[in-house]
Amino acid sequence: MLFVENLVKEYKNITAVDDISFSVSPGKIFGLLGPNGAGKTTTIRTVLNIIKPTSGTITFEGRPISNDFYNLIGYLPEDRGLYKKSKVIDVVLYFASIKNIDRQAALSGLNFWLKKLGIENYRDKKIEELSKGNQQKIQFIISVLHDPKLLILDEPFSGFDPINQQIIKEAILTFVSSGKLIILSTHQMETAEKLCSEILLLNKGKEVRKGNLASIKKNFGVNNVKIEFEGEPSFITSMPEVVSSDIYSTYAEVHLKEDVKPADFLSKISQKLSVSHFSGIESTLNKIFIDLINKSNNQ
Amino acid sequence: MNKTFAVAKWEFLEKIKTKAFVISMIVTPIIIIAFAILPTLLSTQEETSTKVIGIIESTNTYFPLIKERTASKKLENNLPRYILINLNDPNKTNKELLSQADKEMFNNILNSCLLIKNALTDSVSIQLRSKNTVNFRDIRFFEQTFNKIRVGLKLQSVGIDTSLINYIESDIDITPIKISKEGKESESDFLIVFFSSFIFIILLMMMILSSGGMLIRSLLEEKSNRLIEILVSSCTPQQLLTGKILGLSALGLFQMAIWSLIGIALVGSATVPATVFEHLPLMLLYFLAGFIFYTALFVGFGSIVTTEQEAQQLTGYISMILILPIVFAVTAIQNPNSTIIHALSYFPLTTPSIMLLRLNVAPVPFYEIVTTMGILIISILITIYLTAKIFRVGILSYGKRPSLKELVNWFREK
Repeated sequence: MLFVENLVKEYKNITAVDDISFSVSPGKIFGLLGPNGAGKTTTIRTVLNIIKPTSGTITFEGRPISNDFYNLIGYLPEDRGLYKKSKVIDVVLYFASIKNIDRQAALSGLNFWLKKLGIENYRDKKIEELSKGNQQKIQFIISVLHDPKLLILDEPFSGFDPINQQIIKEAILTFVSSGKLIILSTHQMETAEKLCSEILLLNKGKEVRKGNLASIKKNFGVNNVKIEFEGEPSFITSMPEVVSSDIYSTYAEVHLKEDVKPADFLSKISQKLSVSHFSGIESTLNKIFIDLINKSNNQ
Repeated sequence: MNKTFAVAKWEFLEKIKTKAFVISMIVTPIIIIAFAILPTLLSTQEETSTKVIGIIESTNTYFPLIKERTASKKLENNLPRYILINLNDPNKTNKELLSQADKEMFNNILNSCLLIKNALTDSVSIQLRSKNTVNFRDIRFFEQTFNKIRVGLKLQSVGIDTSLINYIESDIDITPIKISKEGKESESDFLIVFFSSFIFIILLMMMILSSGGMLIRSLLEEKSNRLIEILVSSCTPQQLLTGKILGLSALGLFQMAIWSLIGIALVGSATVPATVFEHLPLMLLYFLAGFIFYTALFVGFGSIVTTEQEAQQLTGYISMILILPIVFAVTAIQNPNSTIIHALSYFPLTTPSIMLLRLNVAPVPFYEIVTTMGILIISILITIYLTAKIFRVGILSYGKRPSLKELVNWFREK
């Protein structure tokens, strides 16, 4: 288990992370979500022991985080890049060696992963000869080669085509079943929605929402409706029943106030629109994200 | 410690494969050899073609005398070195003769023209006119010849005996001998001393600049693609820093070893005099210490810079400091005991190069070697300590170069 308690990181003028707490347990993917500048990277860096927190504690397997954990942690940073002029095999073996993996184990691990990701022909090529996607696969291999107990993935899918996203996703899911601790930081809410079972939503360094994703969605999605229609829909936005809305020319998703009955709302809009479809929907994580961040920005 | 060596090994093996390294490996010795051999070549190289020189002098006194003295001067291929032509013509004025001579020089009939004005008076003056810059050896030759004749004529006119005149004319050359402690004597040649010290300073400079440049570029690369984050989440910044310095120092040693082999081969072939390597062990020590010191500096600065331009600026400043001793080199050789040279020996940035110079020029007292070496080693340790502090924070700061104030804060941070 990884426990982060009351983590604060202050820089000279700003508080990058302001009193956040969370825990990550094995067999689940923990989603660290938030807009740009929310404090995700700072949080990750403190967990990685790259920077020291101003206050708060981080414990992993019952002990405070320290240099002893270097070899147990795998990290895939958001910005990708490798030593361009060097060979794939050399770069991977170098990173394995500073994780204290012996050469033989690293080599067999490398071969295993190259095969699994379908790039075994590139082993002796220079990094710069690889496509961007394949370079990212190498970086992914580097982050997992030493079989880390805690894996921190920052936007692992960005830059991959759908097929490769699928391959990486499957690889991550095998880690879940093998009991690794996984922290996934991303902007892609669709991905987070499918993969994460626990989330922490951050904004401006502060916790906005935390907990089990299913229950967050349940609490959030009660009064959402989906409408398909013909007519002029712009009046919906200003209706008193509406909290927020996402309107297209023949389709709209509307978040209603808690005490509004969907049936009443339907009869009201039917006076102005010809409605062909009307149903309640569960909020997508994307919607929850936008609503919560907007709400927290307006506070 | 394993991780430190892993980093060192990587830095060494990856840098050794780069084009920049291979090029500097080959180009540097070529430059050095050029430096070592050129002066010898230049001073011994004989000219191969005879020079035709016209002489204008209205009294006709000097022409036969100069001709007599140049007759014995031969080139290597036994051709006369100079052919002298008397341009005098009593029907023409000096001015006319001169313009004619100038024309002939432009038409390549004459190489040069010697104009002697007011001969046999006290206000005599002499010009060596030529289309191109005149070879300093020609000037020297005619100057000496003319003056000897002038003095000889004067002495003759007051009735001095010819044998006495010959005695006065003959020159005795001084042979400079440099002694070392063991009582050994060696002919000290200014050029050899100058260039052998220079070779080491230039080697040091080129090695520092090429490997420093490589270092900064690779640090920038690691910073800009965030590889540094993977690195410092795998080992401590100290391990990374020490590994980098170790790796590069090993690279420097390797380079020196190769170059030494070339040097030994050259000594063997007697192209470079063996005296150059008299103080080799000490020189190598200063060389290596200097290299490590500057490498540590480069790592520190490299972790602060954020763009290629800044890196280039920085390399520029550092190379200026490195060039400084070359500015002082002539002073150091002419007067190795001057205060400024002594002072610079104790200033760590210039210690290595100044000591490289001094060792070859004059015996350096043992206590000075100990103190300067001590200063250098302490400076290396302090630099590594401070660099480690900057490094840890610097490598994670992107986009903006820190202000001096921020740097001070970094030092204070635990």
